[in-house]
Amino acid sequence: MTFTLKKSWSDALVLGLSVFLVFCLIFEPYIELPELVGWLGNWHPLILHFPIVLLVVAVYVNLVHKKISSLLLTIATLTVLITAITGFFLSLGSSEKGDILFWHQWLGAGLALLTALWYWLDNQKLGQHKVTKGLQLSIVLTTVLAGHFGGMVTHGEDFLALPSSNSFEEIPENPLIYKHIVASIIDDKCASCHNPNKQKGEYSMSSLKNLIKGGKTGKAIDKEHPKESELLKRLHLPNADEEHMPPQEKKQLTSIEIQLIEEWVRLGASDTLQLNQLKNDQPLVALVNNLMRPDAKEKWTKLPKVDKTILSGLNSDYLTIKKLASTSEALSINLFTSPKYEATLITNLAPIAQNIITLDLSGIPIGAKEMEFIAKCINLEILEIDKTPVTDRDIIPIKSLSKLRSLKVYDTKVSDESIDLFKGLSSLEKLYVKGSAISAEGISSLQKERPSLVVIGDIDAEIKTYFIEKDTVEITTKKEAISPK
Amino acid sequence: MENKKENSENPLKINRRHFFSQLSVGIGSLALGSLLIPDLLKGGQQSLGSQPLGIPHFAPKAKRVIYLFQAGAPSQLESFDYKPTLIKRMGEDLPDSIRNGQRLTGMTSGQDKFPLMPSAAKFKQHGQSGAWISDFFPHMGKIADELCIINSMNTDAINHDPAITFFQTGTQQSGRPSMGSWLSYGLGNENQNLPSFVVLTSRGKGNSQGLYSKLWSSGFLDSKHQGVLMRSGNEPVLYLNDPDGISRSDKRHLLDHVSSLNKMHHVETGDDEIESRIAQYEMAYRMQMSVPDVMDITKEPESITKLYGEDVQVAGTFAANALRARRLAEGGVRFIQLYHQGWDQHGNLPTEMAGQAKDVDQASAALILDLKQRGMLDDTLVIWGGEFGRTNFCQGKFDEKTFGRDHHPRAFSIWMAGGGIKPGITYGETDEFGYNVVKNPVHMHDFHATLMHTMGIDHEQLTYKYQGRRFRLTDIAGNVINDILT
Repeated sequence: MTFTLKKSWSDALVLGLSVFLVFCLIFEPYIELPELVGWLGNWHPLILHFPIVLLVVAVYVNLVHKKISSLLLTIATLTVLITAITGFFLSLGSSEKGDILFWHQWLGAGLALLTALWYWLDNQKLGQHKVTKGLQLSIVLTTVLAGHFGGMVTHGEDFLALPSSNSFEEIPENPLIYKHIVASIIDDKCASCHNPNKQKGEYSMSSLKNLIKGGKTGKAIDKEHPKESELLKRLHLPNADEEHMPPQEKKQLTSIEIQLIEEWVRLGASDTLQLNQLKNDQPLVALVNNLMRPDAKEKWTKLPKVDKTILSGLNSDYLTIKKLASTSEALSINLFTSPKYEATLITNLAPIAQNIITLDLSGIPIGAKEMEFIAKCINLEILEIDKTPVTDRDIIPIKSLSKLRSLKVYDTKVSDESIDLFKGLSSLEKLYVKGSAISAEGISSLQKERPSLVVIGDIDAEIKTYFIEKDTVEITTKKEAISPK
Repeated sequence: MENKKENSENPLKINRRHFFSQLSVGIGSLALGSLLIPDLLKGGQQSLGSQPLGIPHFAPKAKRVIYLFQAGAPSQLESFDYKPTLIKRMGEDLPDSIRNGQRLTGMTSGQDKFPLMPSAAKFKQHGQSGAWISDFFPHMGKIADELCIINSMNTDAINHDPAITFFQTGTQQSGRPSMGSWLSYGLGNENQNLPSFVVLTSRGKGNSQGLYSKLWSSGFLDSKHQGVLMRSGNEPVLYLNDPDGISRSDKRHLLDHVSSLNKMHHVETGDDEIESRIAQYEMAYRMQMSVPDVMDITKEPESITKLYGEDVQVAGTFAANALRARRLAEGGVRFIQLYHQGWDQHGNLPTEMAGQAKDVDQASAALILDLKQRGMLDDTLVIWGGEFGRTNFCQGKFDEKTFGRDHHPRAFSIWMAGGGIKPGITYGETDEFGYNVVKNPVHMHDFHATLMHTMGIDHEQLTYKYQGRRFRLTDIAGNVINDILT
């Protein structure tokens, strides 16, 4: 080794830096960094890797080989001190220190000072003393802890957590828009850079107050002019724009998430707003429902696998069985009017009953037998039994279809007797009843109980009259059309 | 120990045993690493495109398309793109800064002035969405909240044939498959007794341009994907009915024998089109039963026929075709294309266009209402529009009553409804002259990509290899317009 640090110099440096560090920690509230010195803080994430490695190596060598190169210990000590100091500079950039940063700072500073102590003990030829050994072990422990807290500051609190599944699963039935939805989007997509510990652009998004308050560029949410809110502007900028958030290389918000935040801001960015306080035609309602509904891809992943030979055996000229998408085992089944219809055409589908997601039996002369089979299709989401001879009694079995979203019973004999059955279909979103025996009173009692259910009957009477009576176009005379008034 | 020593002297001098013992460590590490690649031993990553045909790439919003094509190009300025500036600046010359070098057709290139001409129709806002729709289309106004009006369509072609070919096939040159054929190729038949791509035509009194069967051709795709033109009247498909004296079982025998001869020929030549021919004979045989039923609108109740308007009683009108389109959709036809000719108003626009609008307005709107009450608007995509737009300046004599408008590719309007498209929105904007798109442009390729997306197809993955390269409907372009999707 040709290079050695002069002993007297390094002693002086270690002492000097230690004192400087202690000074900084004591007088933190008064310190204001010159720009260039603040810039030194940016080197912290780079330099910190050296002491972590060097300290662990030094302790290991000392414990195993008894003797340690003084150069190794010197460099380790110097880098740990520099790291602590640059880290301190960096932390001064954030306006408000969170818990994690607080712990990271004191553990880091403690580590630096412990190391300096070891350096001093080593100088006193006490390198093999019991006290020194204990010190070395606590140095390793502190390194791990300080490093871990540092990691949490940079990568988010749960960066070491086990991978978890979709966080939206836990949205309660009647969510608070801010707490359960907006905040969880922010946690997922924004909080890793905008939290109390790491406040990029001096902006923390962790509480509603801070979220509105904004950061360096000022107010993020403008309640008076919601459209002008900086938060929304940043979300809407093209991805390539520097100002766009989240930055291009980070996970982006989906268009639904953006619309959700936009609507929530438009409605006043309140933390008390709850889903059931909104009218059904508010766009936010549809957006929330959309978010809460599991993704089609995930929804159908648990379906049993369908045997290809079974499928090809069941398909016929009048019965079409198709996969809904090449990535799932979900099936759509469509039966067309054929010269010879038998109930077995449908009941033969039993081996794939669980895979049937949509079933179109429009105009097929089905009866009780077929309806009993349909009740076994527990994953059914869309059922079309319009223009069939089914009666109220026939359709009773469908009460077991808990996933049914859309039901067509138009042009059938189904009557008000089935209203209670429809009320019980918890997933039902759309019901088509034109030309059935269901009365207007029946529909209104159904909608009273299930306000979110859309019941579609005959064409609006006013529109119908207009179409039937007004069968001509009035040609506007030119003069009228172009007069500027 | 000895081995080790040898090795340390010369790293190249190793014996077999040593080689294998070190190799095992290397291979073991590789194996460990490979555990991180889940699909490594499954024969490579499968792309969507390599998956079997006939199945959507992802769950579709729309199962079928009804395309109400307005051949000849209806004026956007008299239909959906309201431009009050044209009223104020009527008769002024179109500023060069707006025209910005746009080429003209031979019909107006000789004009030395391009006087701005305002809409011949009055505009009103309709529905809760406040969509601007002209008085030429009062019935569409009534259903404005179901429509997604796109005012920022633009195309590359300036003449009818290339433009309509572009719309149908994704390119201006003839010979590529029509979009209905692409969907038939990608998704297959829903009902085995009807073709998956059906074409119906009608003609208004306005100035019209030709329609050619190349527009519904399957191009280089298997010919079973080509559009089947159904005529009006008693015989929708020519020569489909058996001649007198031929029973259905005779026909069956005939087909069986023809088929066995065709199969022999196929073995000899290996030409795949022979198989298509066999399949088409079979389809025709089944269509003998299914087509008369599906095309017969006399069974429709009066409440429905009145909804579509009086014209519905006259075979071959747009209204009759619209009602048939609904029946075909119910019957499981995947792509139903109507063409209504007569929208090429180079002159006499105020009168001619009003007549054209009257032909289609009520029936188009009625189709939406009818589909909606049957719950079919949820999974049927309806599209209304022509192949390009029309100029904001007058063609020919500057006369409010008889003026015309020339072809304009830079901006025009269409609407879409149902099948995964957001209802009650107006998308895209043109400048105050209605000449250039200034916001959210939708190019033809984007339109095709979006249409395929609603049907569950990734437009970049549905390809067909022909003459040494893979073709797609959107060729090498196209972005799905996510803003208009539900």
